[in-house]
Formats: sequence, C-alpha cells, structure tokens
Amino acid sequence: MGDRAIDCTGLTRHFASGTALDGLTIDVERGEVLALLGPNGAGKTTTMRLLDGVLRPHGGTATVLDLDPWSDGDRLRARTGVLTENAGLDDRFTALENLQLMAELRGIDRREARTKGGELLERFGMGDRADVKVQGFSTGQRKRVALARALLHDPDLLFLDEPTSGLDPAATRDVVDLIGSLAAEHGRTVVLCTHFLGEAGKLANRMAVLFSGRLHAFGTPTSLAADLWRGSEVRLDLGGPPPDALLPALAALDEVVQAVPTPGGALVRVTGRAAIPAVVATAVATGAPVHGVDAHRPTLEDVYFEIEARSLAAAAAAGGTGEPAITAPVAAPR
Amino acid sequence: MRTPAVDRRVVRVMLRRDLGAILRSKALVLPMALLPLILLVLLPASIGLAANGNTLDVDRFLAMIPDRLSAPILGYPPHERLVIMVLGYLVAPLFLIVPLMVSAVTASDTFAGEKERRTLETLLHLPISDRDLYVSKLLGGFVPAVAVSWLGFVLFAIISNAVCWPVMHRIFLPTWLWAIVILWLAPAVAALGLGIMVRVSMRVSNTQEAQQLGGAVVLPLVILAVGQTSTLLLAGPPTALAAGAAIWAVAIALNVRGAASFTRERMASRL
Repeated sequence: MGDRAIDCTGLTRHFASGTALDGLTIDVERGEVLALLGPNGAGKTTTMRLLDGVLRPHGGTATVLDLDPWSDGDRLRARTGVLTENAGLDDRFTALENLQLMAELRGIDRREARTKGGELLERFGMGDRADVKVQGFSTGQRKRVALARALLHDPDLLFLDEPTSGLDPAATRDVVDLIGSLAAEHGRTVVLCTHFLGEAGKLANRMAVLFSGRLHAFGTPTSLAADLWRGSEVRLDLGGPPPDALLPALAALDEVVQAVPTPGGALVRVTGRAAIPAVVATAVATGAPVHGVDAHRPTLEDVYFEIEARSLAAAAAAGGTGEPAITAPVAAPR
Repeated sequence: MRTPAVDRRVVRVMLRRDLGAILRSKALVLPMALLPLILLVLLPASIGLAANGNTLDVDRFLAMIPDRLSAPILGYPPHERLVIMVLGYLVAPLFLIVPLMVSAVTASDTFAGEKERRTLETLLHLPISDRDLYVSKLLGGFVPAVAVSWLGFVLFAIISNAVCWPVMHRIFLPTWLWAIVILWLAPAVAALGLGIMVRVSMRVSNTQEAQQLGGAVVLPLVILAVGQTSTLLLAGPPTALAAGAAIWAVAIALNVRGAASFTRERMASRL
C-alpha cells in the first residue's frame, strides 16, 4: 500500500461548454486534508467526480487508494464517502431512512444500517430529528445528515464538495469542527472542495488553487507564501503617516527589501524576522512615534488573493479576457 | 468473458426505495389511482346499470362493423351483447392506457426526478454498477405499472361480474382475451412506455419536462394502440398474442438501447 491516497497526472476533462479541467497534477498523502480552492467553475467538482470514477477523463492518469478510478470504480467507491454540494437527500424520507437506504445500497445489513445510521445522526446532533421527514430541514441540518451518510461505511477517503455553502456562521463553525474531527479519525484522507478560505485555512494541510480548470498553486499555505513573497512583512503603527526621513532611512538598510507608507505608519518588507530590531531602531532614530510593531504572517487569504491577482495580471498582459491566465503553477514542496 | 449477474440485493433495496418514495408522493399516486378508478370501476358500473335497464340497442352498431369482427359478439344472446361488447372487448384496449400511463409517470419520477431532487449524484457515487442501477430504475417503473394494472383488473372483474349479474347470471370475466391483455399485453405496453420515457428522462432535467416531452410521444402511441388493439382483440387470441409479441420486441429493443446509453459518465456529465 503506497503512502499516497491520490496520485494524478495531467488529468483533463472537456465538456460541450468548454474545458473543465486542464492537466491537473496533484498528489494527496494518506491522512492528509487537501483543500481544492477556486471560484465557481474552477473545476473543483469535476476533479472530485473524476477522482471517484464517476466521470472519465479525456487525458491523464490517476491512482486513488491504489485503484484505477475508471476500471475499478465500484471497488474504489466502496472505500470513499462523498458529500455532494446539494446534500442529495430525498425529501420524502426521514433522515434515518435516507441513511438506512444508502447504507443498504452499500451492502450493509438492514438492521446494522439502522443502528449505524441512528448512531451517526446522534453524533452529529440530529438524533432527535432521525424520524422526521427531511423536507422541512434547514441547509445546515441537511449537511449534517449528508455528512453522516458519507461516513456510514467508514470510508478511507472523504470527498467533501462545498460542505459549508449556504450555512449561517454558527452552522459553518459546527460543520467545520465536525470535518476537523472526521479528518483526525483513523488517519482518514479528506479532499475538501471549497471557495471559502476560512474553512480551508482551519482544516487543510495543503491547498491546490484552481482557476478555469488549471492548477495555479499547490502546497502548504506557508510554503506558498514563501514562494510568493521573499522575507517577512512588518507593519509599523506610527499613529499616522510616516515622517519624511523614515522611508529613505529604512530603504538604506541592507535587510529591507521594500518600505511603503500606509495611513497609520509604514509597511516594511524585510529579508527575515532578524531584521525587525533594526527596523524599529531606525524608526525611533528618525523620531517616528512607534506605537506598535506587527510582524505579519501571510494568511491563506493573502496567499489565495495574491495568486488570483497574479493570474489576472498575467491574463491581462497576455491580452486575455479577465479570466486568470494559464501560468506555470506555483509549486511548493510539502 | 461472462457478464456478472445482476446484484439482486441492490435491485431489491433500490426498488424498495423508489416504490416507497412513489407511494409517499400524492402528485404521483393521484393520477395513478384516478385513471384506473374511472376506467376500471366507474365504467363497468355504468355499463352494468345500462344493461340492467336494457336501454341500449347494440345490434345496430354491430351491423355497421365487418362480420368478421362482430361475429364473436353476435354469438351471445341479445341481452348480453352490450355487456360483452363493452366490458369483454372495448374496455380491453382502453385498459392498456393504465400500464402506459403508470409507467410514464413512474419512469419520469425515477429517472428525471432523481435529477430534479438532486439525488442522482449521490447514487452515482455508490459502488453500484451502471447496469444494476439501470435495471433497478427500470423495475422501479415496471413493477408499479404492472401492479396497478393487475390490481385494477381484479377490481374491474369483481365489479363487472357483480353489477352485471342480473343480466349475465354467471361470472363472465376474465375471458381468454382479457387474460392475454392482462398477462401479455399490459406488461408489454408498460415496458414500451418505460423504454420511451427512460430515454426522454435521460435527456431532460426535471419530471415536468419529461412528462411534457413524453406526452408528445406517448399520447399519439396511446391513440394508435387503442385504435389498433380493439380490432386485433376482436380478431381473436392468436392475433392479440402476435400484437403483444410485436410490442414486446419494440419495448425490448428500446430498453436494451437505453441500457447501453445509461452510463455513469453520461449521467454525471449532465448534472
């Protein structure tokens, strides 16, 4: 058994409306949470369907849980659990009936399916609604039931497609916490398709950023940030614009890459954290009132939007349509 | 290489799921109950009452149709002819609308309805082969169509025999012709309706579209079937059996082609 849960190379899929996925090459370690990020139409759901053997590719190869998704699809799907974007529950059945029927279709004995379904609903805070028809459920309740359904057969790999779309903040937090705990169980691998950066930041070990079917970045947020921006960023809180002498003085320091004014002080890009004392000392020496220093670590959002901005800029430079351009992906080792 | 057998467990669970869902849907149960009620309960009751009152003279009508077709009815005593003509012959082809209509309604729900309710994708991610999924869905349309037809006929036979007892003084239904209609033609017509509606449902995104598009195809077929089958039934059992065989042949051809085009890939690319 290999260390990788997913290994795909050059995965490509076209539809009548255009190319949904163009040469995707990624790998996912066992027990890892990978976030597939990108706007609507980026190719995230297509990737998920291809990797679960539901769609066939027009190019490329893939191995998922050591199986070929297209020749061994049923064996693979017996080991994967999927939460589709629209929970996919039948309104005419109760929550427990929805789970029970799916469990039976997966080969679980009827009585065991009922017991297991009841336990999962209980665990996901839906125990008191188990025998209620799904028709009146909120989006959050549906997602919980669908998540429970995805776990009925204790899958090795979970595909979660937009698990928090349509949820209010409280329900989002609950579902993100649930997914976090699911990923931690038994070294389960999770592929999370989302356009919400918050949940990806909380849950994912690595992220793959897709725009218009092309992979634009792949790696951990930290390694991607290091690849996008050299050094660190320091925000100086001066309580107002910087004095005239400050920026040239900072720029003269060897460790400073760039210094720009901000309404509340200055933003200084330095070669590393070791340069921060020198930056502060220079500010004090020029008479700037230093109220605070924030050594800023790029967030997932910073990384994502920087990748998007660079893609758009490259597209504009290439005379594109405003869609992110086809550029070599930012790749960073794990 | 031998094709693996259909997974009966999958088919059984899927059938339970689809039939359970249909029975819980008033929008499906109502039309499936209403037509058989009118055709198989109210119609025989009215004919029985009319025959009791001896108010209709069918001999003039029989005189207008070819001898070959009127001969089987003219063999009965005059006071039985109305009952025999309508309940023994004319209702039989009309009755075929029941399996056709029920299979059209259920097929549009089990195929296009899955897309509309957004439950299809969940099914596609199950470890079930394309063929097992197709067979399950097909049976989900076929079983209710045949069940409603057979149940309807039992009701029809009981009511007809009971209401017409004062005229007939015997149990006159089922006849050989009716046996052919129920056991041979009705399932064939249900399979034909399925073959058409499954193909229609695979191309549309909701049940309404499926039923609208299906109506354009199914209704003309109904009219054709009614017109042709009444003549065939009067012509005798061998001709009715042959007509059934022809319908089965078309239905099987349609469903085999449907099975070939029902693939995960095709379904998923239209989600």
